[in-house]
Amino acid sequence: MVCSLSKHWLLMVYFIVVNWAQVLFNSCVTGSLYLISAVALTLVYGLCRFPNFAHAEFMAFGAYMGYFVAEQLGLGFPFTFVTAFLASGTLGVLSYKGVFQPLAKRGATIIHQMIASIALGFIIRHSIGEIWGWAPLSFRVVWSSFDVGMVRVTGIWLWLILAALVIGGVMHLMLVKTKIGKAMRATSSNPELALSSGINIDRVALTTWFIGAALAGIAGLFRAAGTRLSPLLGWDILLPTFAVTILGGIGSFYGAIAAAFIIGLAENVGVVILVSLGLSTEYRMAIAFVILILTLILRPQGLSRVFRGA
Amino acid sequence: MDPLIYILDIVVFTGIFAIVALSLNLEYGFTGLGNFGKVAFFLIGAYAYALLIETGLHFILCLAIAAILAGLVGSLISLPALRLREDYLAIVTLAFGEIIRIVVKAEHWIAHGVWGITIPPAIYWQGASFRMTIVTHIGLVFFCLLICFILVQLITNSPYGRIMRAIREDEIAAATLGKSRLKYKAQVFMMGSALAGLGGALFAQYMGYIEPYMFMPMVTFTVWIMVILGGPANNWGALLGATLVELFDRGTKMVKDYLLVPVDPNNLQYILLGILIIFILLYRPGGMLKESQVKTKAVERASQWKRRS
Repeated sequence: MVCSLSKHWLLMVYFIVVNWAQVLFNSCVTGSLYLISAVALTLVYGLCRFPNFAHAEFMAFGAYMGYFVAEQLGLGFPFTFVTAFLASGTLGVLSYKGVFQPLAKRGATIIHQMIASIALGFIIRHSIGEIWGWAPLSFRVVWSSFDVGMVRVTGIWLWLILAALVIGGVMHLMLVKTKIGKAMRATSSNPELALSSGINIDRVALTTWFIGAALAGIAGLFRAAGTRLSPLLGWDILLPTFAVTILGGIGSFYGAIAAAFIIGLAENVGVVILVSLGLSTEYRMAIAFVILILTLILRPQGLSRVFRGA
Repeated sequence: MDPLIYILDIVVFTGIFAIVALSLNLEYGFTGLGNFGKVAFFLIGAYAYALLIETGLHFILCLAIAAILAGLVGSLISLPALRLREDYLAIVTLAFGEIIRIVVKAEHWIAHGVWGITIPPAIYWQGASFRMTIVTHIGLVFFCLLICFILVQLITNSPYGRIMRAIREDEIAAATLGKSRLKYKAQVFMMGSALAGLGGALFAQYMGYIEPYMFMPMVTFTVWIMVILGGPANNWGALLGATLVELFDRGTKMVKDYLLVPVDPNNLQYILLGILIIFILLYRPGGMLKESQVKTKAVERASQWKRRS
């Protein structure tokens, strides 16, 4: 998947001497995917204060449920979004109710919560593997690609960018205007104070887990539609998602949006630089990790100070 | 296939992973360091061994150098990483493990990238059967395990071990007693990495062939499961955890060959393992074996005094 994509980029770099418009467009595509995935992760991370490794499996589950509806029930691609959203969201709520809330009530440490999320990931990933098999699957929809000026565009990429814009906008309105959104921000920044102000913390946690997992499902669906479905689908973008979350500042919605595009740009420009230096494009994956490590060591609070307010 | 080979195979893997589990126990169980990049040091040990043995050095020397090299890399990494919060430390070490794997995969001149590298057998004599070579490997692995276990027991039951526990319980309190937490953490990280490197070297020698896909984050998680299951801060617990997880892991592979199950045993294994871990964390967060109490004269006197009053 990464391989086929990076080969695609490699060819482009070789045959059109670095088409910077294309690099910018690709950065937008990568950034949009990371945006959806990281906004979801950062909400949950900010609330529960531990990195949820099962986020990868929420993505894979959304993609596979989308596949089930579109290909196995034959309802067509548009229905997949609703299914992925609802199915992953429900799975998130069940995980919270079944695993993470009982653990938090028993006073589990951050590390115990992380291990539990890895264990939950095993359960979901291998259940997916049992139901749909480990061989890669793909959606039957073929996305037409066309040229806009010098930029080669594929239909699914345009939908991805549109979805990221819509999700960003809706989440912004929700966090700023609605009561539940304000309650989510309040609980994330100070749970005790939120509780004493009469906020129903339990409902806030359920909503956050639902939205977090549901958006992860959408991200997984886009990933699967652009490449292929595999039970390990979420794992391939989990660490870049962590990188975006941490660069943006944990729990920071606007930080995550900015960081998603920064890392998307860094990866795509990075590939051009790697090729020109004669290095392997395998290092594309490493770019996000290096940014992640540098951020944690140099500026652990990420960009959150830049984007005060949410 | 010969069922005895399966059993011997399980024994070797238990020994190798017991060493790695002991190393994680040293870091997480006693000192509270959440190292999620265990596989990086395992990989460094394995590749260092594979490259050193090609130069014709004696294999015991290679094992030692591989362990030391992994320890050195561990101490280098620990200097910036150990200042971080525990969830950040976990993510940084996890990312470090992936970077190391990507580098080994991409740089073909190190060890042929994805093609992998073959390791000539170190212990070999004319007419040795397959069974006999495995038995000699068991001897070697368990000899190393015995040394590591004695070493780890001595360290954790010494005053040094009590400082480690003190840092785990309360870093600031330990610092007020004049114990530089960064220094001790870095030392523990170095020891843990060296042990993991030794485990990796033994793994490489036993497998006879290594490639980057053997060093996925899954290895780290397996070792974590061993420690959490057996009981953190208890060295016997690490051994127990390693034995149980390896029996479970290899046992299901055996089931696949001998029995017909409607569910793929590999999937079933991980689903059951996941459920088991969540139950352990919920109902017995201390693991199967509890942490043994520190035994010193002062503690003894205090407990006597408590009993009398």
